[in-house]
Amino acid sequence: MTRPAHPLAVFAALVAAVAVALAPEALGPFHIRVLQFFFFSAALATAWNLLGGYAGYWSFGHMAFIGIGAFAAAHYAMAFGGGGAGPASMIAPVAVGALSAGGVALVIAYPLLRLRGIYFAIAMLGVSQIAAELTNNVGALKGGIGVFLPSPTPAGMPPERFFYYLFAVLLGLCLLIAWAIRRTRFGYALLAIREDEDTAMMLGVATERWKIAAFVLSATLTGTAGAIYGYSLGYFTTYSVFRLDFSLNMIVFCLIGGIGTLWGPTIGAALLLFLTQVLLSRFLDVHLMITGALVVATVLLMPGGILRAVGELPRLRPKREGGT
Amino acid sequence: MDLFLQTALNGLVLGGIFSLAAVGFSLIFGVIGIVNLTHGVFVVAGAYLALVLHDSFGIDPLIGVLPIGAVLFAVGYAYQRTIIHWAVSRASVEASLVVTFGMAMVFRNLLQLWFGPDVQAITPSYGFQSVAIGEIRIDVVRLAALGASMVILLALALMLARTHFGRAMRAVAQQPLAASLCGLDVRRIFGLTFGMSAALAGASGAIIGIVQPFSAATEVAWTLNAFVVVVLGGIGSPAGALIGGLLLGLINAFTAQYVGPALTQAMMFLVLVGMLLLRPQGILGAAYGETR
Repeated sequence: MTRPAHPLAVFAALVAAVAVALAPEALGPFHIRVLQFFFFSAALATAWNLLGGYAGYWSFGHMAFIGIGAFAAAHYAMAFGGGGAGPASMIAPVAVGALSAGGVALVIAYPLLRLRGIYFAIAMLGVSQIAAELTNNVGALKGGIGVFLPSPTPAGMPPERFFYYLFAVLLGLCLLIAWAIRRTRFGYALLAIREDEDTAMMLGVATERWKIAAFVLSATLTGTAGAIYGYSLGYFTTYSVFRLDFSLNMIVFCLIGGIGTLWGPTIGAALLLFLTQVLLSRFLDVHLMITGALVVATVLLMPGGILRAVGELPRLRPKREGGT
Repeated sequence: MDLFLQTALNGLVLGGIFSLAAVGFSLIFGVIGIVNLTHGVFVVAGAYLALVLHDSFGIDPLIGVLPIGAVLFAVGYAYQRTIIHWAVSRASVEASLVVTFGMAMVFRNLLQLWFGPDVQAITPSYGFQSVAIGEIRIDVVRLAALGASMVILLALALMLARTHFGRAMRAVAQQPLAASLCGLDVRRIFGLTFGMSAALAGASGAIIGIVQPFSAATEVAWTLNAFVVVVLGGIGSPAGALIGGLLLGLINAFTAQYVGPALTQAMMFLVLVGMLLLRPQGILGAAYGETR
């Protein structure tokens, strides 16, 4: 089932890795921060794409997993300490954050994935709201007063550069997973679910199991990103990690770049962040309008996103929403 | 006991307003099959228009409902005939979800640029009076708001049940193809449905303006409320919206009173998720035609 990677693709990936590794030498702290945020956003969008793009289950509440990852990591680090100093101290808390997000996803997956289309989207929005309010209001979770994570930056390294590399590695990991999934049985099963879930089930695809696997995997990666993001903040409260705009941006990036494609989320994130953070950084007032107008224009002019419009790939029609 | 009754009354009053704010959303969902995420913007736009009418011309928001409804009707009609129609015909029904979401961002930003990001409120002359029934008190504004909501909902229900246009709308909801074969101009009815939905949203916004503070950013909450109301009550009918709205109002009031005011959103979504899992068609089921 698996095909080997094209040599040219491997070469391009190596060139990209070297470019990413060397870029901080030439850039100032501001641009490193912008790139760091780009890697974070692209990693999130790629993780979202595993479920939303491949399987066609649009989650409007993935911020829940960012928040759960960050808070679980912080509580673990505060209770047990990281174990070690510098970057090594991050390993256990980030793993706990990722597993907590995946664990929560596993628990809610079975009931929620029975819903389809807009109903699943809104139910996930509901889950994220519930998670945020509980974190904020249950005293033991300390969402209201905030939690701390010790700085993991090695001595002598500027923190923005450390997190730049960390998020770059995370994005690479997400892309690798997304790429690998796309060429296995798992990936084909997810695409079959997106195209026509009932037919897929009838033809013997274990839709339930694959959907849950994609959901848990997507949540785990999002939780990892959330935990690292928590470290990059150092101190955070509920609403600095449970941010609705994270949930929405993941969708918007995928949509603009090309939903369900490997590079779409990354390209969408790059384009939109470049536009809003660099070109229009002085016009904060109209960011919302520009993002909205871009989304509308993308759907009206190239419904498959930039990648499909450019590549003239055969457009995979999303199936009609079938209620529940 | 009094506290219980007072909470129930507050919940019902709030619920009546939720119902009116959601019924337009429900109509579009039921007739055209589109989840209109711009709905909350229409509600907030109605509130802002009422504010302008009240502060600049001294027109009471409850009278302002009529001109505001007319303006938003035109906006809604034009919106469907252009952007929504393009989205559905060029891409898909799902694409309309994304398009309305993008348009909501654009509209919200425009409202913020025009009116500023501050929270606003309309204070009519009778703003501070209240009526007492035994130990239970209720503000005059809330009573007026509830009354106006009920009148508008009743008028809508009558229109859907008795007039030619209402029948045409229900026919299109059931079977767009068959309806057009019978000589109905389906596109025009889609446009008019959208216009009516926007008008109802604007009217509810004017009423909401005298009861609650609002800002452009609250549009998200109104869209979500509408969705929850529709899921609770059932798609496409004024009665479903009424039941869903009242239920949501009660949930809000009782959670705020007995569980904690910070947890109303969590409780609302908990009920929503439970409802989706147990009875996805809503309390009243499919009001007319096939479920979509």
